[in-house]
Order: sequence, then structure tokens, then C-alpha cells
Amino acid sequence: MKLTLRAMLFISMGTALTLSHGITSAETFKWAGTSDPQTMDPHANNSAPVLGFLNNVYEGLVRRNKAMKIEPALAESWEQLGADGWRFNLRTDVTFHDGSAFTADDVLFSYERASSEESDVRSWFSPVESVVVVDEHTIDFLTIAPNPLFPDSIANFMIMDKDWATANEAMRPSSEAENFATRNANGTGAFTLASRDPGVKTTLKPYEGWWDTLESNITEAVYTPIGESATGMAALLSGEIDFISPIPLQDVPRMKQRAGFKVHEGVEARVLMFGFAHQIDELKFSDDVSGKNPFQDVRVRQAAYQAVNVDALIDKVMRGNAQPAAQLVSDAMKGYSEANAERLAYDPEAAKQLMKDAGYADGFSFGLQCPNDRYINDESICKAAASMFAKVGLNAKLTAMPVRNYWPELREDNFDMYLLGWSPGTFDAEHPIRFLASTPNEEKKLGSWNFGGYSNARIDELLPMIQTELDDDKRQAMIDETTKLMQQDVAYIPMYVQPLIWASKDNIELTQRTDNFFILRWVTIQ
Amino acid sequence: MIESLRRWSIENELVYLFLRSPGALLAALVALLCVGGAVLSPWIAANDPYDIASLDILDSLIPPSWSDGGDARFLIGTDDQGRDLLAAILYGTRLSLLVGFLAITFASVLGVTVGLMAGYFGGRFDAIVMRIADVQLSLPAILTALLIDGIARGVLPQGQHDNLMIMVLTVAIGLSLWVNFARTVRATTFVERNKEYVQSCEIMGMHPFRIMFVHILPNTMGPILVILTVDLAVAVLLEATLSFLGVGVPANQPSLGTLIRIGTEYMFSGEWWIVIFPSAMLILMVISINLLGDFLRDALNPRIR
Amino acid sequence: MLSFIIRRLLQSLFVMLAVSLIAFSLFRFVGDPIAQMVGQETSIEDQENIRERLGLNDPMPTQYARFVGNLAKGEFGFSYRTRQPVNELILSRLPATLELGAVSLFISLIVGIPAGIYTALKRGFLSNALLVTTLVGISIPTFVIGIFLIYTFGVALGWLPTFGRGETVQLGWWQTNFLTLSGWKALILPGITLGVYQLTLTMRLVRAEMQEVLKTDYIKFATARGINYRSLYLHHAFRNTLVPVITIIGLQLGGIIAFSIVTESVFQWPGMGLLFLDSIRYVDIPVMSVYLVLIALIFVMINLIVDLAYFAIDPRVRHRGGDD
Repeated sequence: MKLTLRAMLFISMGTALTLSHGITSAETFKWAGTSDPQTMDPHANNSAPVLGFLNNVYEGLVRRNKAMKIEPALAESWEQLGADGWRFNLRTDVTFHDGSAFTADDVLFSYERASSEESDVRSWFSPVESVVVVDEHTIDFLTIAPNPLFPDSIANFMIMDKDWATANEAMRPSSEAENFATRNANGTGAFTLASRDPGVKTTLKPYEGWWDTLESNITEAVYTPIGESATGMAALLSGEIDFISPIPLQDVPRMKQRAGFKVHEGVEARVLMFGFAHQIDELKFSDDVSGKNPFQDVRVRQAAYQAVNVDALIDKVMRGNAQPAAQLVSDAMKGYSEANAERLAYDPEAAKQLMKDAGYADGFSFGLQCPNDRYINDESICKAAASMFAKVGLNAKLTAMPVRNYWPELREDNFDMYLLGWSPGTFDAEHPIRFLASTPNEEKKLGSWNFGGYSNARIDELLPMIQTELDDDKRQAMIDETTKLMQQDVAYIPMYVQPLIWASKDNIELTQRTDNFFILRWVTIQ
Repeated sequence: MIESLRRWSIENELVYLFLRSPGALLAALVALLCVGGAVLSPWIAANDPYDIASLDILDSLIPPSWSDGGDARFLIGTDDQGRDLLAAILYGTRLSLLVGFLAITFASVLGVTVGLMAGYFGGRFDAIVMRIADVQLSLPAILTALLIDGIARGVLPQGQHDNLMIMVLTVAIGLSLWVNFARTVRATTFVERNKEYVQSCEIMGMHPFRIMFVHILPNTMGPILVILTVDLAVAVLLEATLSFLGVGVPANQPSLGTLIRIGTEYMFSGEWWIVIFPSAMLILMVISINLLGDFLRDALNPRIR
Repeated sequence: MLSFIIRRLLQSLFVMLAVSLIAFSLFRFVGDPIAQMVGQETSIEDQENIRERLGLNDPMPTQYARFVGNLAKGEFGFSYRTRQPVNELILSRLPATLELGAVSLFISLIVGIPAGIYTALKRGFLSNALLVTTLVGISIPTFVIGIFLIYTFGVALGWLPTFGRGETVQLGWWQTNFLTLSGWKALILPGITLGVYQLTLTMRLVRAEMQEVLKTDYIKFATARGINYRSLYLHHAFRNTLVPVITIIGLQLGGIIAFSIVTESVFQWPGMGLLFLDSIRYVDIPVMSVYLVLIALIFVMINLIVDLAYFAIDPRVRHRGGDD
């Protein structure tokens, strides 16, 4: 009934405006997000907006299902070749959008392309020694060391057609000028790229020849980036778009009450935390402490930890839409440490005592750096935390800045304390250990986001063991040990897991995945 | 002697016209209240919204005291940080007005000096100054502010940036407004400098700067006064817009513009007071300044252009 | 005449160079483009390689010389963000901004001129109401007007679209809003938002000019001769106010284009202003530079045309132009 009404409306509109748009199908799905994917090239930018969007167009050898578990995609099955690597058996019935067949050559080509110097996703292939085509539908990935998680780590490694890329001179991801693959796509995925106007509008259409069965009844999907959150909300409320992600937390209660709309709530993989300057010998922004760095004292770090009322932050700033976190990964991740799930209690009195014990009974001032356009309500979180810190004598001087200035500031060590959110790309606890807990080592590409220079020799020792351990229980024991050490050291102040808040008209059915990817093939319009 | 008599009568006429114009009187009253409230805010406001230790996140987003869930401590409610909105508005107004006044002072001193010199000396100096003015006009104020902010970020010592941000903003807004003054004063000076009184001053061997500032300047005061009021309004709005775009004053010292920016995020969530009250304050203030500007323009009309 | 034009052209060139230099020096402070170009797992070494490849490690003067040199050759470079050629990117966004600017200019004229004439001729309630209303118009920040209009006409009443351009028609490389109903509807709210400020200026200008002209002797003389009022006001008085009004309108057009940034951001209008804001967000240096130079070019052209027009009309300028 609803459908026919809508169709009638469209027909009457169509006759009224002869010059206006032609026939719009009832299953056109219009959706919006805050930013536009920078490129349509699956190997040119390793960021969630790009990879998430292109997951609808391109596919990998494996893919993640609704529960984030790995399932077969272009590879029907895979097996471990002892300690040497992995063998993937490819599907034989797959064609690219232009009709050409998918073979092992395309995988080899995509590997070469994705691991080339111009690629932004080459870090995924650092454990790979070589790739060997066994036959037309079998391919081996040989790794330098045993790598139990390799299939998990390449879920976003998308396969491009060799002949198409060659014919259009897009053999490598673009580094300066665009190439054909920047605005065109030829994948094997459920949707084809029908049109692309960067920053304005991108249209996808279902691929008739897709190897899998499509759950979705969408016949056309139009994506528009809307940067202002108020404008995006207005577009949804006025019915111009069917779906938007994310919506501001403060709008959730009202949206839930509004007839005709619904809110989709989930948990993202991202943990928000404060980091300390562990390594420097003198605070950079303090008015009253010179010649030393109080944050090198674990008591001061713990005081800061216990000064933050995380429940109040979640309740007020996040409007109840977040889970407290005690470690750097959420409980949905592989390797989550059940043994270390408890946070230290919020206790300003204990914090004051710790400050006194450490010799800072009168408190001290320091610089707190914070982004203001990176995470949900990031600036508000910092402001609220700063006022909590102030109550135990930790006088934070807050500087909030756009993320374009934020990373360079952190890279130049211009902070005493900072806010960071971390989402493990591999959905495994090893990821934050590698990036955030290892002693920074440029050569080995370890600790590259460990801005504060936290260092614990035992953790550095454990990491390579975790990476190569094939036995799940032994691996978990080592991760538990690492997590425990980080908690004892108060290496970071983990606070909460960021929520995923999407909103749509109430005739839309969809599935939310914790990686914040919007998967069109699971969207149906009723 | 005659000159000063003439000026005195004009001022008198101004006072006379002013007292007879109800609109101007009302505007002046409102403007006075805004300025008064802003200046006295530390004594009027219940708490100091900049003192983060006094804020409690549990007090955030409380509606105005007369509605359901209101709290007598916060007359018109609180913002997302638990700040008393009234106190925040008073302090914000103070900051906005401070930036506005400093910016137009800067702009007028620079613009008038340059305009006088360009109009008086003419020739090459004039050409160069007017081309610089063209450059300035080619860079929208928002970009000028970004540029100044960026340079300040690069040059100023770490940690000092926020403290100096207000000065930076002042310079940025001032730089985008000086051209108005310069062009107007230059045009008037062109006309005046060919008049007999200037020529006689020159013959008497008076120093050019004395001629400019003592004799020509008073004759340009009418237009300058009008531009001053209009540009004060523009400066306040510009500050608000810059804060809206996120290049304004530091986050922990919100101006009216910052408060409105934060408020717009609560447009659809039912917390209307966060955006309505600061907007109302800003609009009221700017309208009253503009009304005063209008009055001045009309009152001085025969002398303009 | 010729020497005046040549001199003005040279001066314009100087203005352009100065703007481009300022534009260029700005970007080193906007942020780090590399951090915006890569994902979180890209190693520092790889980031440094990109920086080297883009020439961002060269000294400032070298970078600037290369930029100006390329501009002179007609090479505008490639966007860091989308990797598209910058000229193509800007040209594809130009029509949106120009059409929005044209509509808001039209709104400001069609309302501003009659309102200006009326308030100049009549005193009374309506006249005062018009003056006060427009005063409110210039006293509200553009972004508040925009959000208010969206809320009222888009969300509460549901009459007009809240964002974007609606359906557009492609005429060659020019994407136009003017050929579809949904395109016209999409223009209304942003057009008003951008036009309010100009409307007020136009109205006040026309009013002031009219009042001025009405005081002149020949109008007084015509009144004395008993010419009918309508013809007097519209033909004689209004015509005399046109020259300065047109001049200001020309100057306003440049302003509209430059200041459409805020309106475009509120309405997600895919024009040059939005492109510029996006490029700031992503530190897309090539796009920012070319945009600024283009805006400067538009201003300089308008100034030049105004100057030349004055030169043609006003003999005093011609004289001064000759000896300065």
C-alpha cells in the first residue's frame, strides 16, 4: 500500500514537471554521511570512509559477516600451509562488473598493486614474503613468519581486474594526478559505480551478475556527503534522505520518539583514551612545574585516572550511549582480556591522596591537547574531563584543534596529555599493542602512534610472540599479561567505547557492523 | 574660532536630534545595557564560567528555571558543560564586544591614517596604498582571519596561542575592516585638500601631518563615525561567524558566536535555550548598534559624501 | 587612455601576485596535508616519501616559484584529496556558486530597489517597518538565518529542500539549476540566506541616492512645472540613482561569490565555497591556492571594469588618470 502510494506520488510529480527528473524508482535509497570517500581506488587510501564505501563495490578474498566474523568471499576456502603461509581456493563463477572473468592473476595483480610503493595499504602485506599462483583458481600467500591471523588482516584487501587496470593505465594507485581508477571502479561486488561526482553525489546500482544472492531490494543508491550535522538532521527529518550516519548524540531521544523514523544504535570498535607524555623530562606547558615531568610518576598517572568520572562522562556527554572501557580494545574484539575487565574506581579523594604522596599536594598545571572534529563530542569530553582533573589539582590547560593540526602537533610532541581514539584495523588486541604500547621504533614500524613514548621491556618482548603464536590459549595468556602490565603502569586512561548512532526512516532495515562500514547489500526498503 | 563654533553647533544639533528620536534613544539604552552587563559581568554573574574547576558536568543541559526540570540556580538554564547560560552569555558578550571594539579601534586608526596620507599626498603613495587595499578586499575576512591565525600558530610560542587568540582575532578582523575607513577618508581628503583653508595652511608652512590631523581630520569625522558604528556591528558578526567556522576564540572562553555554534548542535534535540538566548542577545546588540549607526547617518546626512 | 589601461592592468597583475603569495604562505600553517592523505597505519617513512614527492620539503620560495610558474603555463596542479585536476574541479563547482550568486543578487534587487524607492518617498508605518525589518536582516549572522530557514521551511513546513542543488541539467560542462522545478526550489532558501545582507544594502543605497536626487534643483524645478509624480520619480529621479547603484551592485557580486562560503556550508551547496571549506579541512593546498587566486581575479576584474567605466564617464578621473 505504502509503495503504491509513493509510486503514484512520483508519477503525478513526473507529469507535473516535464522538465524535472525522469522516473525515480521507489527503491531509490538516498543516504548521507559526514565526509565523502576521497577516492574510488581501493588501494589508494587506508581510511574507514574509503574502505567502507568501496566494500559495496569491490570484494576481497574473504569478507566479514554481520557479526564481524571472517567468511568466504572471492575465495571459497583457505588453508594454512604449515608455518609457511596460506593457500586460497578461489571461486570459479565470479565476474567483474565489466563481464570479464575473475582469476588468480587478478589476485596476484591486486597484491602487487596494493603492496606497491604508491599504495596506502601496503602495511597489510609486510608479513608477506611472496605470492604464488598455483593454478587459475588457486593462489598461495607465503609469509615471513607463521601468521595465524593473516586471513583476518586482509578482509579489506580488494581485488581489481588486471585487464581493466592495464587497459586504463591504472596499474598503480595514483600518487599525484588521478588515474582512471580514482573515479571509476570495476569490482566484483554487489553494486556497480553508476556515477561519481566527488564531494557532491555518488550513485551505485546493483550488479546483475553478482555471484552471491542479494538481500537488498535497492535498485539505486545515491550517496551525498553532508558536513554540517544540523543540515543532515534537517535533510532526514524533511524526508529528503532515507538514512544518515552518524547523528549527534543529543538528537537520539527525540528521534526515537518521532513517528516515521528510527535510530540504529550499536557499539563501534573505537576506544577513547587519554595518553601521557611518558618520555619527556620536563612538562612543556606547565606554569608551575619545571625541570621534571610528574607524569613519569605512576601515582600521578593513577590520580589522573581516578579523577575522571567516566560514568558521568558517558551519562552526560555521551548521553548514556557508550560502554566503559578498561583496556584498549572493546569486548567485541578478538583477544579481549576478560581477566582485566575492571576499571579503577572513580575516587577523587584517593586521587588527591596519590597526588599528595607523589609530592604534588598543591597540584600542578599541564597542557591537554584535544581534537575537535575527530571523535564524537571529543571537545566536550576534554572540557568535562579538564574540569574533573581540576578538582584534584591537575590543572589542565586545554587546547582543542581540528584534526588537520592535531596529528602534526602530537608528532612534534607538543603535549603533556592528549586524547586518542583507537579502532583496531584487524579487530584484534594485537593491533593496539603494536601501535600504542610498543616502544616507538621507526625501523621496525612499531609504536608509530605511541606519541607519549610509553615503554615496557616485557611488552616489547611479548609482542612478537603474540604475533606468531598459533595456539589460541597461549596467545590469550600473553595478551592478558600485556593488558595487566599496561593497567599497572597506567600507560593510558582508557575511558569508553564509542557508540555507533545512525538514523533512518522507519521503513529501512539494515545491519550495523562494529567497524562502522555501511554495507548496502544488507539494506532493504519496506 | 569660527571653525570650532561651527563644530560645536553641529554637535549640539546632534544631541538635539538624538533626544527627539525615540528609536535612537531606545537603541542607545539597549546598547548601554549590553555594554554595562558585559563590563560588569564578573560582578553580576553568579559564577565564573571560565573557571573549569567550578563546573560540574552533572549540571549540564538544565532547562530554564521556569520550565520542567529547571533549577533555581540557573535562571535561563545551563549549556552542555554545566555552565550557567546567563553567566556564559554575559561573559560571551563581553568577549564579543571586546574583540569588536579592539578590532574597529585598530581598523580605524590604521585606515584613517593611511586614508589621510593617501588623499593628501596622492601620487605614488596613493597608488600603492590603494592597490594594497585591493589585495585586502580580494581576501575575504574569513581567509584573512585564517591566515593570521595560522601565522600566529606557527610563530607564537607553544601554549601561548590560546592566550593570544583574542589579540590575533582582533588583528584579523581589524585588518579586514581598515579599507572602509581608508577609502572614505581618502575620498574626503581629496576634496578637502583643494579647499582654500588647506592651501592657506600650506602657504603658512605648516607640517603636513598637522594639516592632516588637526585640520582635515575633523571634516571627515561624520563619515568616520557612521563607519565606526556600522563596522562595530560587522566586527561582532564577523567574530561570531569565525567562531561558527571554528577559527574563533578558544573553546574554554566562549564568545557569543561560539555559544551559538554550540547551540545549533542542539537545534533538533529540544534543548532550544542553548541557541535561542545567545542568538537573541547577539541580534539585540547588533540591531541596537546598527540603529545608532542609522541615526548618525541620517543626522549627519548633509555632511556625508 | 591606453597608458591608463596598461597601468591599471599592471597594477592588477601586482595585486594578483600579492594575493597568490599571501595565499601560498597561508598553507604551511593550515595543517599537514600528508596526515589527511593517508590512513592510520601508514608508516612515517612512507609519509615522508609522499611529502618529498609532492615537493613539500622544498624551501618556500621554490614552492612559490613553481606554483606561479605552473599557473602561468596554465597548469593548476592536482587536488591532494581527490587527485582530480584542480581547474576541472573548480570549473565543475563554479556554476553552482554563480547561479546561487545570481539568484541572491536578483532577490536583493527585485526587493531592494522598490523598497528603497518606497522608503525614500514615503514616511509612515510601512516605511519604518521595512527599514527595521531589513535592519534585523543585517543584524543576524548568516548561519543563523540559514539554519532558521531550514528549520522553518524545510523541516517544520516541509515546503522546500534543505540541502543540495536538487536535480540539475547538464549543458556542456555547465550544470544548471534553472531548468528543473526541483532545481528552482533548491535555490530559494540559500538564495534568500545569501541575499538578505545584499538586499538591505541595496535598499539603503537606493533610498539614500533617491533622497539625494530629490533634493536637487532640477527635480524641484520639474515639480514646480507640474510633471506627474509617477513619471517624475520613476523616470527622472530613479534614473539618476542608477549609476552609483549599478557600481555598487558590481562590487557586491564579487562579495557574494566570496562570502557564499558560509551559506554553502549550511546548505551543503556544492559550489566553490564548500569546495574551499572542504579543502581547508583536508589541507588540500592546490585547491585552496587556485581558489584564492580565482577570487582575487574576480575582484580585480570587477574593480578594473568599474574603474574603466568611471574613466569613460567621468572626465575628472580621466584627467587625474593622465597625470598620476
